[in-house]
Amino acid sequence: MDVARPDRKELSERALSYADPLYNLARYLTGNASDAEDLVQESFTRALASFEQFAAGGNLKAWLFRILRNAFIDRRRREKRAPIQGGLDTVHPDPELEAAPIELLRGDAELEHLRSVVARELEEAMMALPEAHREVILLDVEGFTESEVAEVLGCAVGTVKSRLSRARGALRRRLHDYRR
Amino acid sequence: MLLDHQRGLLAEEERSALEEHLRSCASCSRDRGAEQITSELLEQRLPRHAAPESLKRALAERAMTRQTSRWRTPAWTAIGLAAGVLLMIIPYRWQSSLLSEARAKTLLEEAVNDHLRVLERDTPLPVVSGDPHTVKPWFQGRLDFAPAVAFVGNDDFPLQGGEVSYFVDRKAATLVFKRRLHVVSLFVFRADGLSWPSGQDADRRWRGFSVLFWRAGDLGYALVSDIDRAELVDLRARLTAP
Repeated sequence: MDVARPDRKELSERALSYADPLYNLARYLTGNASDAEDLVQESFTRALASFEQFAAGGNLKAWLFRILRNAFIDRRRREKRAPIQGGLDTVHPDPELEAAPIELLRGDAELEHLRSVVARELEEAMMALPEAHREVILLDVEGFTESEVAEVLGCAVGTVKSRLSRARGALRRRLHDYRR
Repeated sequence: MLLDHQRGLLAEEERSALEEHLRSCASCSRDRGAEQITSELLEQRLPRHAAPESLKRALAERAMTRQTSRWRTPAWTAIGLAAGVLLMIIPYRWQSSLLSEARAKTLLEEAVNDHLRVLERDTPLPVVSGDPHTVKPWFQGRLDFAPAVAFVGNDDFPLQGGEVSYFVDRKAATLVFKRRLHVVSLFVFRADGLSWPSGQDADRRWRGFSVLFWRAGDLGYALVSDIDRAELVDLRARLTAP
């Protein structure tokens, strides 16, 4: 008799319940529906194969997101596309990206412009961001705490905090430039 | 720090110092406005892509295949083959059942985890008041719906306050009540797009907490606490009274 079997079933059910947020991140990382579906399927297969490594009582959602992110990085390496910008595939972030100035909008008119941004412009601005910025914003929007984002990205909480701040600033700058 | 302030994560001393600075610094005050607008844009206007149903079915099928393939002794192989045939005969029903259970569990876990966040928060609720005339108007402009709640506390269930939080992927109004020394959380949110629990699924226990789900119009409600279930049902009756 094996007592692990019900746990696997429960984990499978819980993992399935995260299909929507996993697919959402995959869409923003890959930029298209077909690759996103493949990425989620591959991530799910990896998760099923390594449920034994998932610590009981751990954060399943963060664990799954980490698997998906690693699967994406592996795909990029396999496909030998353009190098991943901003340290997406490394614990150590790109110093240049981390040191980029935080872009802030100073005028009231610019704030008004920002308020009138529509969904399509926002999505396009997101897709134009470096992947490291895009993913930290998406994980934040997903409702992860900074500690959980750090767990997904494999970096320090302080790095998450500064990267998120810069990413949001870069997004505002993109939206501002887009509208000019 | 502005983002931490916006999210109520600063300690009281830091919060007071920052707010005092913001009152006298137009530049930082505009930066705060920019952060606020950025949050609203991301929360309300950034498109979210839902996984296609075909993908969900494929994932469910993969999960089942994995569960059967793990027991591949000769006997289990035969059972696995039978399961494969069964999969071909009634795949959709089985997969739908697995998906349905997963979705119901999502809402249950979400409700309990959100309640735990209320219990564990080390900063005061953004609006701390037992006065419904203070708490209900506070939500105006912070949500894209009006949280319809018939009961806003009395001596049996005094209202402690409220905040805007998230339930699954959407904003929620959180109202916090007390029952003696116990905390009761009520989450009100738009129910569209959620696989809504019904029957036994709408009244469940998990990790020692009772959760009651119900719907009224477009809104969904989740009531969570560790108080006696009968008392929770009593509170729900007050909340849903015509």
